[in-house]
Amino acid sequence: MNFKERFLTALAHEEPDRVPVMGLIMDPATVNAILGRRAVDIPALLQKPLLRGPLRRLLNSSWFWDRMYYGNSSGAVESAIQLGFDANWTIYAFMQLANDRETEVGLAWHDVFGRVWEMGSDGCGNMSLNYTRALCDTEERWEAWAEAKAPLFDRVIRNATRFHRRLVDKYGDRILPIGYAAPGIFENSWQAIGFVNFTRYVYEKPAFIKRVVDFHTDFYLRYLEGVMQSGVEVVLGGDDLGQKTGPLMRPELIEKLYGESYRRVAELVHQEKRKFIFHSCGKIYKFLDYFIDWGFDGIITMEPTAGMELAKVREQVGHRLALIGNLDVSRLLVKGTREEVEDAVKSAIRDAATGGGYVLSAAHSHPFVDPERLRWMVEAAHRYGEYPISL
Amino acid sequence: MSDALVETLHSSLLELDQPKTVAAARAICSGDGEPSAEQAVQALAAALEIVGQRFQQEDWFLGELVYAGEIAKQAMEILTPHLSALATQSSGTLVVGTVAGDMHDLGKDIFITYARSAGFEIIDLGVNVSAERFVEATQVHRPLALGISCLLTICAGGIPQVIEALAERRLRDGLRVIVGGAALTAEFAAEAGADAFAPDAVTGTRVIEKWSGV
Repeated sequence: MNFKERFLTALAHEEPDRVPVMGLIMDPATVNAILGRRAVDIPALLQKPLLRGPLRRLLNSSWFWDRMYYGNSSGAVESAIQLGFDANWTIYAFMQLANDRETEVGLAWHDVFGRVWEMGSDGCGNMSLNYTRALCDTEERWEAWAEAKAPLFDRVIRNATRFHRRLVDKYGDRILPIGYAAPGIFENSWQAIGFVNFTRYVYEKPAFIKRVVDFHTDFYLRYLEGVMQSGVEVVLGGDDLGQKTGPLMRPELIEKLYGESYRRVAELVHQEKRKFIFHSCGKIYKFLDYFIDWGFDGIITMEPTAGMELAKVREQVGHRLALIGNLDVSRLLVKGTREEVEDAVKSAIRDAATGGGYVLSAAHSHPFVDPERLRWMVEAAHRYGEYPISL
Repeated sequence: MSDALVETLHSSLLELDQPKTVAAARAICSGDGEPSAEQAVQALAAALEIVGQRFQQEDWFLGELVYAGEIAKQAMEILTPHLSALATQSSGTLVVGTVAGDMHDLGKDIFITYARSAGFEIIDLGVNVSAERFVEATQVHRPLALGISCLLTICAGGIPQVIEALAERRLRDGLRVIVGGAALTAEFAAEAGADAFAPDAVTGTRVIEKWSGV
């Protein structure tokens, strides 16, 4: 079997030749370490008075953003190929650098949905971007933002299609690039408004929240269509519904506000004969039955530091969801020993791989995940993951 | 009538009924002092205690925890000017901030809401707080405990730096350090030299209540 057959067989809950392994490589630090590239500290360059203006203009051009994003993502896919992964996620985003008095450098990235992403260092000399604030904390601001940014939404979809197509064309014969449609409808709804205000409006301005959800559902469906036009076989939707100790919001409320949207997402992907896998951080046991009901094909992550256990998830969902995960990235894949990594791989395979429906992966990614330990993970999967499983 | 108003304040918060909670707080403040603002605050604190229990039992979730906290804050803004000086005495001072490099405040702010309702005075240092600022605030305020929040894995390394800086200035003796946030685990907290790890705001408040003997 090749990588593609292996991955899709597993997603179909059949046993492939061996357990597939998916990479979640995306951080520049990881890519640089694997490919021997040098870090580029953009926030430091932006602090140099002579460079600030020209660099800002460059950073705000579609050309640069697409080139930078494609460069990093193609590097991530190349890294995943080097380490022996069968698939890797590929993440597209589009932002603009704007004046921002609340930041030290006086600049912050604004995404098309109304979030502020502040720049920092990833600890390895690269720029890190982190969502920190909402730009649309009132109904009026949200409406004005959505209207003003309308032309950008179409551009984002076109760029995402082109971005994924380039990756599929260039790497599709060596690895399965997973189209990544994120942030999802829930995150796009609340993060532009802020969690506290969003929660307040859910109770106090339900009609406004319904408009926001409908708006993002329509956009997300169009975005998915664009991503699927690129030729990706599997689409990954990212939408964090959980936090460390449980759901961000009551699952019944999420069903009421977003259930129909998620059903439409799954239906659209299935109409196109693709598979839809869903990423959510946090402790999300209470959502697993909803995922099945909404029509998702699989889930990825199952964050161990939030109490998610593969065996427990498999017991709850059986073979109604494919499972992708969940090796720890808080310690194991940062500084664990080879023996510990192998034991974790064996344990994951034992817990979830029988009968197919399982893809081994790290639980998440961050700049301190060690490429050597990722390699150990892949090698252990090759060594212990052959079907029939005999662990 | 007076008991009824306090009961309304308590029950409406637990029903997440913002207009009713705020109206009850206003009615109490515009009355003849019976019930007192102190009784009203006690009722709010008792209601938030129940909210915390519901959250920990997974009957309620973060959204409800946050919204209940926001409604309680609005009621407190109405009641606070009517409190006697004695009633505003705190159970202890806490210095709280998000670690250097990390700009996230949601978890920290939820913790602050619940810790305040439990009677603690909070010195909020905000986000992206350097080790030096944690040290300075500790020197100035001599808190019962220091709370450090961290959402980002790449910033977690700043936490042991804060604890080491406190030790270097001989400020660690008698000072409890509690850490929390998505990037952290109990194992990390122990390795970093913290006294406790809080997976959520309610647990954090409970831990500090134990430390203070409340």
